[in-house]
Amino acid sequence: MSETKLSIVDLTKRYAAGLDPAVDRLNMQVEEGHLVALLGPSGCGKTTTLRMVAGLMDPTAGSIVVDGKEITHTPVNKRGMGMVFQSYALFPHMNVEQNVAFGLQMRQTPKAEQKKRVAAALDMVQLGHLGKRQTRELSGGQQQRIALARALVVEPTLLLLDEPLSNLDAKLRETMRTEIRSIQQRTRATTLFVTHDQDEALDMADRIAVMNGGLIEQFGSPTDVYERPQTHFVANFIGQANFLDVTIISETGPAPVAGEASYKVDVEGLGGFGAVGAKGLTGAHELVIRPHRLKVTLTGEGHDALKGTIERVSYTGDALSVAIAVGERSFNAQLLTTSGDLPRRGDTAYLSWAPEDAYLLPAAAPGKAS
Amino acid sequence: MTLLKTRGRSPLQAAGSGELEKATEKRNRRTYLALLIPGLLGLLVSFVFPLAYMVRMSFNKGAPDGVIEETFTFDTYLQPLTDPYYWKVTLDTFQMGVTVGLLCVLVSYPVALFLARSQSKYRGLLLAIAIAPLLTSAVVRTYGWMVILGTNGLINSSLTGMGLIDTPLKLTNNITGVTIGLVEIFMPYAILAMISGFGRLSPQLEEAAGSLGASKAKIFARVTLPLSLPGILTAFLLVFVLSISTFITPRLLGGGSVQVLATEIYDQTTGLLNWPFAAALSVILLVLFGLIIAVYQRLTRKIGG
Amino acid sequence: MSEAPLFKPRFNAAKPAFGILVFLLYVFLLAPLLIVFVVSFASNQYLSFPPEGFTLKWYEMLPKESTFMEGMKVSLIVAVVVTLIVLALGVPVALALDRFEFKAKAAVQSFFLSPLLIPSIVLALGMVLLFGPLRLNNTYAGIIIGHVAITIPFVIRTTLMSLATTDTSCEAAARILGANSWTVFRRVTLPIIAPGVIAGGVIAFIVSFDEAVISLFVAESGLPTLPVQVLRYVENSADAAVAALSVILILISLAVVVIVERVMGLRKALR
Repeated sequence: MSETKLSIVDLTKRYAAGLDPAVDRLNMQVEEGHLVALLGPSGCGKTTTLRMVAGLMDPTAGSIVVDGKEITHTPVNKRGMGMVFQSYALFPHMNVEQNVAFGLQMRQTPKAEQKKRVAAALDMVQLGHLGKRQTRELSGGQQQRIALARALVVEPTLLLLDEPLSNLDAKLRETMRTEIRSIQQRTRATTLFVTHDQDEALDMADRIAVMNGGLIEQFGSPTDVYERPQTHFVANFIGQANFLDVTIISETGPAPVAGEASYKVDVEGLGGFGAVGAKGLTGAHELVIRPHRLKVTLTGEGHDALKGTIERVSYTGDALSVAIAVGERSFNAQLLTTSGDLPRRGDTAYLSWAPEDAYLLPAAAPGKAS
Repeated sequence: MTLLKTRGRSPLQAAGSGELEKATEKRNRRTYLALLIPGLLGLLVSFVFPLAYMVRMSFNKGAPDGVIEETFTFDTYLQPLTDPYYWKVTLDTFQMGVTVGLLCVLVSYPVALFLARSQSKYRGLLLAIAIAPLLTSAVVRTYGWMVILGTNGLINSSLTGMGLIDTPLKLTNNITGVTIGLVEIFMPYAILAMISGFGRLSPQLEEAAGSLGASKAKIFARVTLPLSLPGILTAFLLVFVLSISTFITPRLLGGGSVQVLATEIYDQTTGLLNWPFAAALSVILLVLFGLIIAVYQRLTRKIGG
Repeated sequence: MSEAPLFKPRFNAAKPAFGILVFLLYVFLLAPLLIVFVVSFASNQYLSFPPEGFTLKWYEMLPKESTFMEGMKVSLIVAVVVTLIVLALGVPVALALDRFEFKAKAAVQSFFLSPLLIPSIVLALGMVLLFGPLRLNNTYAGIIIGHVAITIPFVIRTTLMSLATTDTSCEAAARILGANSWTVFRRVTLPIIAPGVIAGGVIAFIVSFDEAVISLFVAESGLPTLPVQVLRYVENSADAAVAALSVILILISLAVVVIVERVMGLRKALR
């Protein structure tokens, strides 16, 4: 089991008295060597949190502990962190080597060692041959790698990445994802990564903190937050989801996942269905089903299938998104395309799902009439 | 699986909330004050104190031989406000400002329009040439005009040489020379102000008007001119304000026969040593300034709204 | 074979006419500067036209004209010291205005730019009056203090412009990498805003070097600067030595113009 590298306790940031806090009593623990993504929509407090950890911003309350030492009041230049900015923030008046060497100069590393470490850092990002170039002559991807090398060469206590991929074009972004992840795993640098892109977070992170309105909605592994969303917001923000208001009829036994239970639930007006969720749930809850986990057939097979009409079909080559109306409800489903006939608008379709693909949100559904 | 309870409200948080921020604010304040204070002191010594001292001086009683009576009186203001001579000087100053302002706008407008619309690769160079004279000495440029306009100057020599005139035209040591010189000297200011004020003017708009069937003259009258009006107004005001307070050019090209407020202030100060009086004239000039700027702001708000 | 145009373009008389007008206005604008070049090489004993021949005698006269050399010395000393002072005072002010939030910010900024709105003759009078009892008239200190107010706005404005276009995350990056505030300023901020600082500095230099009114009031009798000497010379003599001197002053201004244009653009700097 790894040790806790960073723990954030009740961290709060209020920009002005009377305003809602940008970050509200946030708690989080990051294990050594992990890459943690702070994921959320803009204004959710993820960047503010990162800047407070970096020391660029003072918290209103709470504390930040790194390696067992509280650093809440440590000035930014004494924290020994490495950060990559959205704009990369390369020093425009220095060449590549000088940029990378800057942190070592601040630490008064001997010249010879500086040279060795700068070369190693540049080799690590595969830009060893560009050391004498001016930074403005480099492409976005190259600049980004230099920024990464500059942050890592000082062997930072924490590596902080502030939306590092958002200024790159889509294709390069994919490549850089893999590259950053592999460098991070090689150096075992504990990393905080701010992003609003769920794919990025799912792909790269060991843990994801899904943030909303200054709070962490859920903190867990990528599969946790995708498969076992704890709130409506998380289920909706990560991937796509169909939501159903249901009432639990009974707990029917253990579920395939340890610690969870199987349930029989009542979807109002449509009958009883199987679902899974945390143990001991009763009453009204929200059920989440991912579109691609819905089984859609054009012939009525399976006994607890819902009969509906296809309202809309959108074809994207390898996948087919369909909207299916069942009574007053509308379901989104995702199918893989086949070479044969595809469903069309107006067709009758039958919907069903495996009980383990229907997850009950633990929080009681707000009392709303459907 | 690490699932932390993240929504829990800790009772600890209430205490100490805001303390940290206050500390930061204090640190920030110390930094920016440290950055500002030397500059503020510099400006206090070289700007505020002299002006304040001058205003105070204008309420003293002075005599022509440099004797000053420390007192507090409005008497010094009475003379320039009652003596017809000073009314005339003030009026002449005002008139010169208006003339120079109008002429300067007239000659600067085509240049500014040309620079604002030019697509030429030399545009940058031409713009630089147009405003570069700003950074040359006013004394030198005025001297250049003395060479051009003087009795034996370029114009008179050429005209007599061609046999067009017998006696040289009187172009210096009078208001004509001063006006010509000032118009040229303030042209770069006017051009700069106009280009900045032409924000909404674009060739596309003129082309659009053309495509709608407007003639060249119509385009100018209905599109170009109205859109460049704010720039023109700013330029006029700027030149007006600069002209009524300028000293070097009226002194050199006026040769003692053009009396405006600025030359009067100089004569009172260095010649007659009547400092309270010079100070009162300066205050009058400043008030004139303030009035014009206030009127201008109301005008631009009207045009802008 | 090129295709013939479908319609012949209509000849438009307005265009060349406008071009000629603009050209003539440029001639008018540059006339006084161009004419002193011509006069400075003309061998006419007294100012007159047309030039009778080519000579360098006016330039040769300059080093022997002690008033000019004295004035040059005074002006250079004043301009250099003023430039250093306003850079030292103005750059921090610009930093405070751009990088910090405080209540009276807009007012402070207008205050620092306001000396440009006050007629220099009024300022000059204030100086001479205040400096009398302080015994600063006819001293270097007096002229230098007098020039600080009218040059500091240029430095603040150009530096602010440079600051506004820089990415503050460069400074944040340097701090995270371990640099303290002073090191951040010296190694990151200052190099990045150098164009604005240089432009402001050379403009301050030339404004001080060419300034005539305040210098005239404060130090006409005891410590005349070059522009004051030129002013007095022009009033009393008719020979072309002053034209040669003017050419040199114009060339110095030209150097400043070229520097400003190269580092940040003349229009941006003087707006």
